[in-house]
Amino acid sequence: MKRFSDHQRLWFYRALTLMTTAILVHLAAVWAAPRLIMQVLMHSPMAKEMNMQNKAAFPPPVTAASRTVVMPSPDLLYSVCVFDVSTGPVRISANPNLKSYWSVALYASNSDNFFVINDRKSGDKPVDIWLVSPGGSPDARAIPDGAQVVVSPSQTGFLLMRVLTGDYEAEKHIIEPARRTLTCTPS
Amino acid sequence: MQAAPNLSRWQRVFVGIALYGCAVAIGLGSAWWVLKKAPWMMQTIQVGAWKGNLLAGSADADLYTRAAIALNALLAMGREETMYFIASRDDAGNPLRSHCSYRVEGVPPKARWWSITVYADDMFLFDAPNKHYSLNGTTARLDANGRFLFTTGGEEQPGTHWLPTPGNRGMVLTLRLYNPEPDLQAAPASLSPPTITASGVCT
Repeated sequence: MKRFSDHQRLWFYRALTLMTTAILVHLAAVWAAPRLIMQVLMHSPMAKEMNMQNKAAFPPPVTAASRTVVMPSPDLLYSVCVFDVSTGPVRISANPNLKSYWSVALYASNSDNFFVINDRKSGDKPVDIWLVSPGGSPDARAIPDGAQVVVSPSQTGFLLMRVLTGDYEAEKHIIEPARRTLTCTPS
Repeated sequence: MQAAPNLSRWQRVFVGIALYGCAVAIGLGSAWWVLKKAPWMMQTIQVGAWKGNLLAGSADADLYTRAAIALNALLAMGREETMYFIASRDDAGNPLRSHCSYRVEGVPPKARWWSITVYADDMFLFDAPNKHYSLNGTTARLDANGRFLFTTGGEEQPGTHWLPTPGNRGMVLTLRLYNPEPDLQAAPASLSPPTITASGVCT
């Protein structure tokens, strides 16, 4: 059997190294992409400007100028909060009291939607959620007995409240006060 | 057999750096291509011209689905709450272009509420002069057969609900179904897909 020369072996190992590195970089990039995108979202200039760290913020209605998150829906009025449960539970409450669709969705730092409640699920009762960290938040004693507790898979994440608006200008006197019932406050 | 050439230390370092540089570029480039240019690889269902991924927003999403959704439809919700279908081609299989006109027709999907929004290929809204970006369960006017109709394109088609798409670039249509009915959730392929047909000439 013909033996390979040193030169051929060298290039074989180089090609193997190149292929292995490319595969590892590819997988790392795919794994990191949603996490990086969420970090960018949670620390975007808009997030800083609207001061939405553990605090509800109320962006204006979606228009062609809305370019923070891809595929914004022009039929929804969004309210947001960047939550951080590392230092204690975060209490989320809302009482939109609307007959049309609304929802409060929670996203982990890897972009997974780990919790959602809407007007039907809430049964027209106000939303009152205590969000805690995966390992159990410090100061969990602040949570009252019987409260609805949701465990966040990550220490930080994003809250997105959607309120349906087929015609914002005609409905804003109803839906603006409704969405502003959202609170997102550390205990 | 040719002997290995005697490379200097610096030449070997240069070859090593070049190889690793190539490997990183290939790894990043292929990841970008798969996630951005080949999102059909993550699709799990196609109905007519409409493609959907039933794992969007789910904690069960695989590595590629999670990344593709984050890149192309960040902050999506699970299918119990919302189902998403995206069309980037018309019914004839041709890529949607903003300087062409299309007629989109169908019956209201079996969901509590629905909308169809037109986006440019960067996944943001067109700068529509009339501020019409979508047709939805509130704004749709149904004909005697219970069907809706809207048009897209650079020029208005009289008598229709017109979603302007100025410029000449790629575009997509996104169908959102809020609180889809249980039978549609269980069998997404039973969706009656809105038809997308090119009409007139491209301007």
